[in-house]
Amino acid sequence: MRIRALRHCKIAKAIVFVGLLCTVLLKPCWAEDAKSTFCLIPEDLDLFPTLYDHESSVVLAIAKSNVRSDLGSDSGWGDESVVPAEIDEEEIQSISDPLEPINRIFFTFNDKLYFWLLKPVAKGYSKVVPEPARVGVRNFFSNLVTPVRLVNCILQGKFKSAGTEALRFVINSTVGFLGFQDVAKQEGHLETQEEDLGQSLGVYGLGPGIYINWPIFGPSSLRDTAGMIGDFFLDPVNYGVTRTKYRIAVKGYDKVNKTSLTLGDYESLKKAALDPYVAVRNAYFQYRKNLIEK
Amino acid sequence: MKKCSVVIGIGIVIIGLFGVYLVYAGEPTEQIKKTTDKIIGIVQDPALKAPEKEPERRKLIRAAVDEIFDWEEMAKRTLGRHWRNRTEDEKKQFIWLFGKLLERTYLDKVEGYSGEKVIYVGDRVEGDYALVKVKIITKQDKEIRVLYRMRKNCGKWMVYDISIEGVSLINNYRTQFNNILMRSSFDKLIEKLKAKVGQ
Repeated sequence: MRIRALRHCKIAKAIVFVGLLCTVLLKPCWAEDAKSTFCLIPEDLDLFPTLYDHESSVVLAIAKSNVRSDLGSDSGWGDESVVPAEIDEEEIQSISDPLEPINRIFFTFNDKLYFWLLKPVAKGYSKVVPEPARVGVRNFFSNLVTPVRLVNCILQGKFKSAGTEALRFVINSTVGFLGFQDVAKQEGHLETQEEDLGQSLGVYGLGPGIYINWPIFGPSSLRDTAGMIGDFFLDPVNYGVTRTKYRIAVKGYDKVNKTSLTLGDYESLKKAALDPYVAVRNAYFQYRKNLIEK
Repeated sequence: MKKCSVVIGIGIVIIGLFGVYLVYAGEPTEQIKKTTDKIIGIVQDPALKAPEKEPERRKLIRAAVDEIFDWEEMAKRTLGRHWRNRTEDEKKQFIWLFGKLLERTYLDKVEGYSGEKVIYVGDRVEGDYALVKVKIITKQDKEIRVLYRMRKNCGKWMVYDISIEGVSLINNYRTQFNNILMRSSFDKLIEKLKAKVGQ
């Protein structure tokens, strides 16, 4: 009885989600101030190339023809003003941190968790599994959460990016062996469009709010936490894997794998900083700001 | 954590390594490239590979970096409005300590390089200031965007800030130092720097 009710709940959620998605997707069609003549697919992008014959060459040919790879014109470099402000007048933009005492405790907790648990496990794992395989696993998980990025590209009106993400998903899932190989990037120069709900909310004008350093999950903000919760419903892993303990196992493995590829970064940060807590908080703030402005 | 891979280079000059492509090289880019090539030479020099040669190697790298890093400008900007009220001696001491702090961090990284590619994307100049855009391609196929901010100091282009994926080094240190200065004093800051550098 309970199980059936739960299943209905999931279907209801899915329907609501699809309904919202359609509404948003079709907004340019029904909104009065619609500038564009298309709803979802940009005119010059063929989202559904025929994959039946000569699969890889057809797909890649389409990818190549849609590519604009002038290196210098992409965004994401941060503040590009050439002349800086006067030293005295430069104001320090930062995120409000009223929960600092608690955040610092969680920071220390995460620090210990990293050195006592995550790092040893990741190190051992990296000794057993060669790097190309681990990069493949990282690509696999990244490919899997395409819906999160895709939906948020659309929410921000970045239709070309959404198309890129869709194309990346199609290419990498087929030619790239379920996403293990990032063929779209290597051959088609299609880059991952890192978007999430926190960024979408930021693009809509929502400020970060206050800084929250979650135990286990790490640095976040009020806005980004809300974003994380929203993105939870877009993450296919949470629909495919229904038992919580298996979800934790999958996410845990993803984290260990990712960490095994970036061992040493956190240690470098600590070594370079006078106050690692403030360093992380500030870096997080600047990094998120840059992602939103991208 | 993507953020941590971003912070790979905080305190580091990403001195690059093989496969440098010049898309458009203005004078500021040339400066960076020159220093980069020099440091590559030092790190790859077989005569300096031995562990006993480490102090000499580090000295050479530091000398090469001194040519392009405007330590005083960087130190000034990390103190921000607190700079004005310091005495000459305090300023000198702070500049020296800050330089040592950065040197420690990036020397480790530079010596641990493993074939990352560096792509010079381009630069922009406005009067005495410039931006140089560089992309680092790691072994794991990750692209890292590095932005050098430069200033003409006595006719020479020198770096006064590095931004990695939008995270400015100066901004980050300024926040840390400001935090310490608001809670304690300049002497406390100097103490912390000394302890850090002495490690």
